[in-house]
Amino acid sequence: MSLFADTETRVLVQGITGKEGAFWSTHMITMGTRVAAGVTPGKEGQNLEGVRVYHSVRNALKEHEADASMIFVPPRFVKDAVFEALDGGIRKIVTVAEGIPLHDALEIRSAARSCGAQVIGGNTSGVISPGKAMMGMFPYWIKRVYTPGTVGIMTRSGSLTNEITAMVVSAGFGVSTLIGVGGDTVPGTRFAEMLPSFEADPETEAVVIIGELGGTMEEEVAEAIQDGIFTKPVAAFIGGRTAPEGKRMGHAGAIITGGKGSVQGKVKALEAAGVMTADRPSRMKDCLREMLGGTP
Amino acid sequence: MKLFEYQAKQVFSEAKIPVPRGITAGPGEVTKAVGNIGLPCVLKAQVLQGGRGKAGLISVVRTEEEAVSEASRICSVPGVNLLLVEEFLSIQEELFVSVTCSPVTAELVILASRYGGIDIETLAEESPEKLIREPVDIFRGLQGFQARHIAYAMGLEGQAAKQTAGIIQRLFSLYREFDAELAEINPLCITESGEVTAGDAKLVIDDSCLDRHPQFTMRPEHFDDPTEYEAALEGIPYLKFDGDISLMCAGAGLTTAVFDLVHYQGGTVANYLEFGGPNYRKAMKAMELCLRNPSKVILVVTFGTIARADVMAQGIVDAVRELKPDRPVITCIRGTHEEEAVEILSQAGLEPLFDTEEAVRRAVAAAAGEVHV
Repeated sequence: MSLFADTETRVLVQGITGKEGAFWSTHMITMGTRVAAGVTPGKEGQNLEGVRVYHSVRNALKEHEADASMIFVPPRFVKDAVFEALDGGIRKIVTVAEGIPLHDALEIRSAARSCGAQVIGGNTSGVISPGKAMMGMFPYWIKRVYTPGTVGIMTRSGSLTNEITAMVVSAGFGVSTLIGVGGDTVPGTRFAEMLPSFEADPETEAVVIIGELGGTMEEEVAEAIQDGIFTKPVAAFIGGRTAPEGKRMGHAGAIITGGKGSVQGKVKALEAAGVMTADRPSRMKDCLREMLGGTP
Repeated sequence: MKLFEYQAKQVFSEAKIPVPRGITAGPGEVTKAVGNIGLPCVLKAQVLQGGRGKAGLISVVRTEEEAVSEASRICSVPGVNLLLVEEFLSIQEELFVSVTCSPVTAELVILASRYGGIDIETLAEESPEKLIREPVDIFRGLQGFQARHIAYAMGLEGQAAKQTAGIIQRLFSLYREFDAELAEINPLCITESGEVTAGDAKLVIDDSCLDRHPQFTMRPEHFDDPTEYEAALEGIPYLKFDGDISLMCAGAGLTTAVFDLVHYQGGTVANYLEFGGPNYRKAMKAMELCLRNPSKVILVVTFGTIARADVMAQGIVDAVRELKPDRPVITCIRGTHEEEAVEILSQAGLEPLFDTEEAVRRAVAAAAGEVHV
């Protein structure tokens, strides 16, 4: 049983008839994800690959059971869609859109925290357990990246995920579950909040963190390890070591301000907690071999 | 997007936060503005950087001659095109109030201090007890009792406490109304006559919500370089540096990692450019922006999902044909449909590399004038 989404997880897709929604929902089904129903207001009665579409989450849940919701709606509609899923009692939600307003992201995170829900995203590719299920958009057919295995991955960046995960696989390992927490300033779920799930997951032996400059998520991981919340081996790659202060490098959350959020500070905190850090993608191979022993 | 002081003050004033009387003036309009505001008055350069006082960009003037000479001095500083001419305040005390958010707790946070006007980060570090921190539930909003608590905790009394509490509530309301990332008054002045007035005004609006506030538009002044402005109008993240290698990559994380690798390898970056996500069909524009730089090499590194490798490879090939770059283009394009990308690049005579670090080594060598065999 993979954490977050497994072959048994019944997934609702909100925004299933949109261009990206339909394309990636089809891939989710092809890969083996159990898509229970779709939701697009005004499109009830349509279907995608045999999956029925409903006007609303409430209508869909009258006919189907769902354990999780995948949200493919544009950024301005994400808050409404998340609240609709929460209203339907769904407590595992993935939202991929980039450009969710900051105040909406705060409301989403606040609402999720108060009802114990996990909202992953936005500004992410989503969640995948290779060979089992995915909620999001991953080129799972590229085997030198998405090979099943025992390394859990958490990431703030989609493009860098492919780069680093390819190193994990080329070192002879594979991926148990990959969680893209996303590149926004206020992600629904933070790195450290996923650690208890990885700790409890029998399929995960070690965790790789793909972080970057800005924010405090990497420092929180170091703290969780120091506090004994997470005891499995951890390796990290953090991008932006040579980034100048005050320049935003792409992601909304990736900026050093007032001397805070530097990669040096993150690396120091992680190494003090016993995390191995790779200063370039290829070194991730050495970290994993050293941590997990000698596969070729 | 950070607003200019005069824009933020207009928002504050409309929200009934007292601000000094002021008029904006270009270099030639200062005499008229000073006549309108009266002497003495304050000339403040309308630039986005902090530390204007220390940089000599704020000046109190007492005569018309002084106003003219100070205005021409300030306006001769590169980047200064506009002044705010403001009434002079006799200040008794300088406070600090700010509204921001906590990504960890998902709360909004009011920060306030009796000791404003100075480097607030230093204060937070050296005397944290002097900085009041009040978390606010985003759904419930700031309640009156919280605003009063902050004012009293600042050590204020009487009218000053009442007025400050009111200003904090209005600052909070406009933070929500304007989709702000930050709303701040530093200093919040108590004048000799006991009035509480915003000496400065800082308002940063969430870039995702600019269309809701069309009165504020992105301007060249928001960027360090004209090409950065041009790229921003296209929605392409672009930063200009002084080095040799133009990065033309996809994905914020990967571009940042390549930026690091170039430096590790002893190279230098001419520009950071990211044309992934919604921009992956904009190879032509991206290469045009790179060529605007006197760089020596263009380095393309991608590993995309939605940003399809074949589409980007074709875009690069078309851009090379059309723009005929006068410098080498190194390509490492992977991800969805990468097999087709290899084909497209090879047919156009571009070598399809597969390893990021190898591509970076090639770029650094090419920038150093070494021809790779």
